[in-house]
Amino acid sequence: MNEGSLLSGGWLWLAFVLIALATHLPRGSFIVAGSRARLPEQLQRALRYAPAAALAALVFPDMLLVDGAIDPFNAKLVAGMAAFVVALRWRNPWLPFVVGMAIVWLGRV
Amino acid sequence: MNESFRRGAREGFRAFLPLSVGLVPWALVTGVAMRSTGLSVLEALGMNLIVFAGTAQLGTLPLIGAGAPLWLIAVTALVLNLRFVIFSAALAPAFERVPVLQRLLSGYLLVDGVFAVGAERMLASTDRDWRMGFFLAPSIYAWVLWQVFVMCGVLGADALPRDWSLEFMATIALITLLVPIARARPMMLAALVGGVATVVLRGMPLRLGMIVGIVLGIAAGFVAERWQSRGEGR
Repeated sequence: MNEGSLLSGGWLWLAFVLIALATHLPRGSFIVAGSRARLPEQLQRALRYAPAAALAALVFPDMLLVDGAIDPFNAKLVAGMAAFVVALRWRNPWLPFVVGMAIVWLGRV
Repeated sequence: MNESFRRGAREGFRAFLPLSVGLVPWALVTGVAMRSTGLSVLEALGMNLIVFAGTAQLGTLPLIGAGAPLWLIAVTALVLNLRFVIFSAALAPAFERVPVLQRLLSGYLLVDGVFAVGAERMLASTDRDWRMGFFLAPSIYAWVLWQVFVMCGVLGADALPRDWSLEFMATIALITLLVPIARARPMMLAALVGGVATVVLRGMPLRLGMIVGIVLGIAAGFVAERWQSRGEGR
C-alpha cells in the first residue's frame, strides 16, 4: 500500500460514518426488524465464512508483502505466525502482542 | 426497572465478567493503532464513539492510512461485520415485544463477547425483563470498558516512540481473532484462500483484488463444508 496519503478532514469523517453504518445496520438488522424476517438458510451458512476470509485478506498482505513484493523471509511474517501459535496455545490476551512485537523489533536490529 | 430486570442484569454481568478481561489489550491496541495511523486525538475518539467495533476499526485503519477509496473502506467494514447479521437474526426472538428504542440501543451495543456468552440463555428465558437485563448490563459494561481503555491507548500513544512499528499491533490483534475461527477446517480454508488470493491479486485495479479474494474465500469455505458434510453422510 502507498504510504502517507491519509484521508483528511471531511473525507475522514465521511469514512467514519460509512464504517459506522456498515457496523450498525448488520447489528441492528433482525433485532430491530423482528424475527418475522428470516435469512435464507444457504445464505446464512455462506455468510459465516465472510469474517474468516476478510480477516485473512487484511492480515496476509501485511505479513507477506514488503514494498509491494512477496517476501517470505521477513520479520513480520515470523512475528505474525508466532503470535498465531501463542494465541492458539495460551489464553493470556497480552502474550501474542508481547511475542509478536518483540520479533518485529529484533528483526530490525 | 423491576426485580426481574435487576436479577437478569446481575446474572448477565457475572457471566460476561471473565471474558471481558480480553477486551483490555484489544482496546489499548485499537487506541494506539488509530493514533499511529495518523488520526488526531479528536478524530480517534470520534471514530471510536460512532463506530464502536474493534474489528471494523482495526481492519479499516490501513485503508484509511493509505487513502483508499471510500467504497472499499465501506465494503471492507461491511464484510467484517456480516457476522452480526447472523448474531442479530439468532437473537431476534429474544427481543420480541421490546420497545423500538431499546431494540435500537441493543443493536448499537451488540458485540461478539456478550453474544457468545449470553445468546443461549437469552433465547431459553421466557421472561422479557430478565432477558433485557441480562443483555443490557454486560453490553453497557463492555461499552464503558471499551471506551475507557481505547481512550488510554489514544492518549498514551504520544508517549510511545514513532518508529516502533506499533501499527503492526493491529495486525496481531486481527491474527488473534483468526485463532478460534481456524479451528474448523472449512473456516481455515476460507481464510487461507481469502488471504492468498488477495496477495496474488494485489495488482488488480481499484484494489478489487481484496474483494475478489474475500469472495473466493467465502466460496471455498462453503464448498468445503458441503464436501465435509457429504463425506460424513456416507
